[in-house]
Formats: sequence, structure tokens, C-alpha cells
Amino acid sequence: MPTPLLEVQELRTWFSTSSGIAKAVDGVSFNLNAGETLAIVGESGSGKSITALSLMQLVPEPAGYIESGRILYGGKDLLDLTWEQMRSLRGKDLAMIFQEPMTSLNPVMTVGWQIREAMEVHGKYRGDEARQRTLSLLDKVGIRDPKQIVKQYPYELSGGMRQRVMIAMALSNDPKILLADEPTTALDVTVQAQILDLLANLQKQLGMTMLLITHDLGIVSRVAHRVAVMYGGQIVEQAETKQLLSNPQHPYTQGLIASLPTRARRGEDLYTMEGVVPAPTAWPVGCRFAARCPRKWELCERVIPDVYTAEDGRPVRCHLYSPTELDKTKSPAEVAS
Amino acid sequence: MTQTAPGEALVVARNLVKRFPVRTGLLGKREYKTAVNDVSFEVPSGKTVAIVGESGSGKTTVALMVLDLLSPTHGHILYDGERYAVRTGKERLALRRKIQVVFQDPYSSLNGRMNVREALTEGMVIHNIGNTAKEREEMAVELLKQVSLRADALDKYPHEFSGGQRQRIAIARALSVQPSFIVLDEPTSALDVSVQSQVLNLLQRLQREMGLTYLFISHNLEVVSYMSDYICVMENGMIIERGTVEEIFDTPKMEYTKRLLAAIPRVEV
Repeated sequence: MPTPLLEVQELRTWFSTSSGIAKAVDGVSFNLNAGETLAIVGESGSGKSITALSLMQLVPEPAGYIESGRILYGGKDLLDLTWEQMRSLRGKDLAMIFQEPMTSLNPVMTVGWQIREAMEVHGKYRGDEARQRTLSLLDKVGIRDPKQIVKQYPYELSGGMRQRVMIAMALSNDPKILLADEPTTALDVTVQAQILDLLANLQKQLGMTMLLITHDLGIVSRVAHRVAVMYGGQIVEQAETKQLLSNPQHPYTQGLIASLPTRARRGEDLYTMEGVVPAPTAWPVGCRFAARCPRKWELCERVIPDVYTAEDGRPVRCHLYSPTELDKTKSPAEVAS
Repeated sequence: MTQTAPGEALVVARNLVKRFPVRTGLLGKREYKTAVNDVSFEVPSGKTVAIVGESGSGKTTVALMVLDLLSPTHGHILYDGERYAVRTGKERLALRRKIQVVFQDPYSSLNGRMNVREALTEGMVIHNIGNTAKEREEMAVELLKQVSLRADALDKYPHEFSGGQRQRIAIARALSVQPSFIVLDEPTSALDVSVQSQVLNLLQRLQREMGLTYLFISHNLEVVSYMSDYICVMENGMIIERGTVEEIFDTPKMEYTKRLLAAIPRVEV
């Protein structure tokens, strides 16, 4: 059995808005195993980014708050820590990189200064040691001339270079877990491929654990060992990447994969899931995907499904996998009559 | 309508060059940056030609020239066998009616202060389509039906719609002046996968039903392989390789094309 480095249990992160409480993350549970890359994949509004921010306890306040749940790390519940204790963990044990490196970097400080600052804040490396380490980190993330780059400002660098700098900064305090929120979405395809390869290599080399947030199933298939699919603030299916992509079990995952445009599907209409994601302020009482689901019964609109175990042992949140006696051969209309 | 027979070139670009002046320093010499360098291609009527490239490749500059929103430094573009430049006044206006565009971001391409009725009928008024406001409104309702939106959308404003619905409105707006040729500039890049498939299906259906011709600008080779008949790969302002989807994907010749293909994060399904 793999050892979980981080255990998230029934996490709920809510926002109070003018139109009511938005339950952006609503009962999310998963384990992050040491040395693996877990991808959380979902569309906009699924709650994937808020899940990552919740782990860092960087949910935008005061509107957003962690309503309940546990985030177990090193025998402690991170949600019990004080702000100061959490602050010393952030950037050291848990580091995060974001989509747009330009907005994450300080525009008026040199690259070298910013990477050193990250180290000096945590007091792990100082002075000359920090200086040396900055150079070796930049070298590690594939920057050819580190001595030159440390003197430059973010605006002088290309998007790909900036993201490399962000990665170097995130790695500066040897984090156990790297959270990457859409790290390549703002980049060109060829640069994206380089950054993904870099992250995969670093992860292997350093034995780092990575949580990757993305909307792109292609990226998932390239770098992730395991995948959790989010819909409507909940994880609907979790599996190893290969199994998930070749044999999706939840109707939403099946729909996502079937709606991808590919060369093989030329000339055919793509599969579509009509309708849109419901609003987080008014999740339906039943299954959140029911309104768009091609396999729903009337039960689905009434009762929210638990997480059940599918044949190969993967957790799936769908009544189709309920062990209780349901006549799954009948269509919803037949069951209702 | 257009005289070009299906399969014959509706739009032809010949030796397009676009240079932009770049001034270096306050008193610096005026220098030029060549964004597009000797680009030629043809778009056959009723087909989809894709221009693929990364940022800075010049693909959007080409699109702007095809849209007659930017004039080429050298070279010319023909529509229906006639150069853009020889048409003036009313003829030029008529040309622009035939060539429409759908941009990437439906949040910024629709005017937030115009409701859907205004957005869909504005172009009709400019191009004298429909005699009365009532007639134009009926046409607008018909357009909404074409893009699978309900007639009650007419009085709503862009912010009341989701991203996918907004892109449908942008498509309806492009169709409102009865074009033959539509430039699709990354039309689904800002959309979620499940919404992207709806919009791609819609674009394909409209092409089949109305015989539309598309110039598809994209960085996404997966989408391009699904949508297009021909592909032009651009790098540094030039088309470095062109061919059918089969030729580009199965037997790419240029190093850059190979790199681009290898970089696609692909799901094997």
C-alpha cells in the first residue's frame, strides 16, 4: 500500500456571496501519496482551484472560509494550526505555482533577489549559501545562464522562462509537496511540453509529491499517475491515469472523454453534454450531474449518490455503482412508472 | 451570393508581407519588424483551412489582413477572384459583409452595453439587410434558433450568458450579415471541453448547411485535426509547411512541425 503523505477528508470550502452560500468545494476527500503526481481535473467552476488553495489555506477571505473537513499532514490536522504555524509551513513543506507567472512575480525586484527572499524567509538557507543555491536551482530548472538571469527583472523574460523561475522559487526550500495550479495554461504548446517534462523530471529526481490542477485531459495523460475528476464541488471519480482514460466509469468522465475533438473523429459530430454546470449557490438536491446525465434515473434527481466502489476498486460517486439492488437495466421512465 | 463554385478558391492570399515600424529609443532610427513574410495560401469554397502557429508566429496578423482590418505592406488578397484593394466605397463595404469573424474571447468581443437584439441587428442596419426593425428582429430570432438559443435571449445582455452561450451569440452575430467566409480566431480556446464540443459541432453544422468557408486560426493541433481540410503551419511570419491533415500529421517534413506535433498533450482514445 502506498503511504499517504497528505489526507484530505470531507473538505468543504464555502463562500458567502450576495446570492447565498456558494459551496465551491463540498465534501472532497482524497489521499496524496508520497512520490506521486495526482491530477485534479475539472472544468471551470468545478472547485479544483479552490481545493488547492484550501490546502494552502489561502482561500480569499473574508468571503471564503473552510467550513469543515480535515487536512492531515505529518500526523497533524493543518486546519488546527495557527496562522503563524501555517505560515511557516507554506513555501517550506507545501509550495505552490500558479497559472500566470507574471502576476506571481514581483515586477520591481530581480529574479535572484526574489528566489533568495523565499529562502531567507524560512531561514533554511542564508547569505552566500542562498546565493549559490539560487544559481543551482535555476540550473536545475533548465535555465542556461543562471548568472545572467539572477540580475534580470521578470519583464525581461519570456513566459516559459518566468514559469521556470517560479518553479525554482517553489523548490527553493525543498518542499515535500508541490501544488501546481494550471502551470502551463498561459504558455505556448511547445513551451508547455518543456515545462511538463521539467516538472515530471524534477518530481522523479527529487522524489517530490505533486498535486496538479488542470482542465486538460491531455496534460493529465502526460504527467499524472492518478487522477481525481471534479464536478460540482465534489470528486466524482478517482483512478490511475491509464485506467481512467481508457475505461472511465462515471458518466461525466465518459462524456468528457467522448467530447474531445480528435483526428479520428473527423467528419463525425462530437459527443456533447447539453446544459451547463449548476450554480454553486444552488446545487441540486440529488446528483449534481443528473441534469446532464444520459444514464440518470428519477432516483438521481432525488438522492445525492454516495461514493461507491466500482469493479476495479476505484471510488465513483454515482448510483450506477451502488451495491443495493437497483434495476440498472431499466430506463429512468420505466423505473418511475 | 458568391459565384465561386464549391472547391474553387474563394479567398486567395498572394505574397503577403506585413511590417510594423518599431522605434528604438526617443531619437532612434525607425526600424521595421516583419510580422508576416511572404505568405500565400488559398481557401477553397466550402472548406476549412487552418493556420497553426504559436504566439508571435504571425497567424493573427494574417487573420487581420484577411479581414481587411489591416492592409498588407506588400502582396494582396483576392476575394471571389478580385483584389480587395480595387474595391472602394460601397463595394468595399459589401466585401466586408461577406467576410466575418469569431474571436477567441466572447467576453471581450461582445459589447456589454448592447443587448442581444442590438448586437444581432446592428450589422443588418449597416448593410441594409431587412426593411423594418420588425423584419430584422424576426431574422434575429431565426439566427438564435440556428445557434440553439431561445428567442427570449433577445432582451438579455452578454453578462447574463455562460461562455459557451456567448460564443454562440458571437457566431449568430457573424451570421447576421449573411457572410460566405468566416475567420475563426481560436474560437474555442477560452471554453471548457464540454462546451467546446457544442461549439465545434455548431460550426460544422453551419458549414454543411450554409456552405460556409472557414479560415481557422489556432494553436491547438488536436482541434485543427478534427476541424480542417488543409493546414498551414506558421513560424516566424512564414508558412513553413502546408498540406492535408494526413500529410501534416503522418509525414511532417519540417523539424518545427514535428516538434509541434510531439508537444500535443494527447489523450489516446
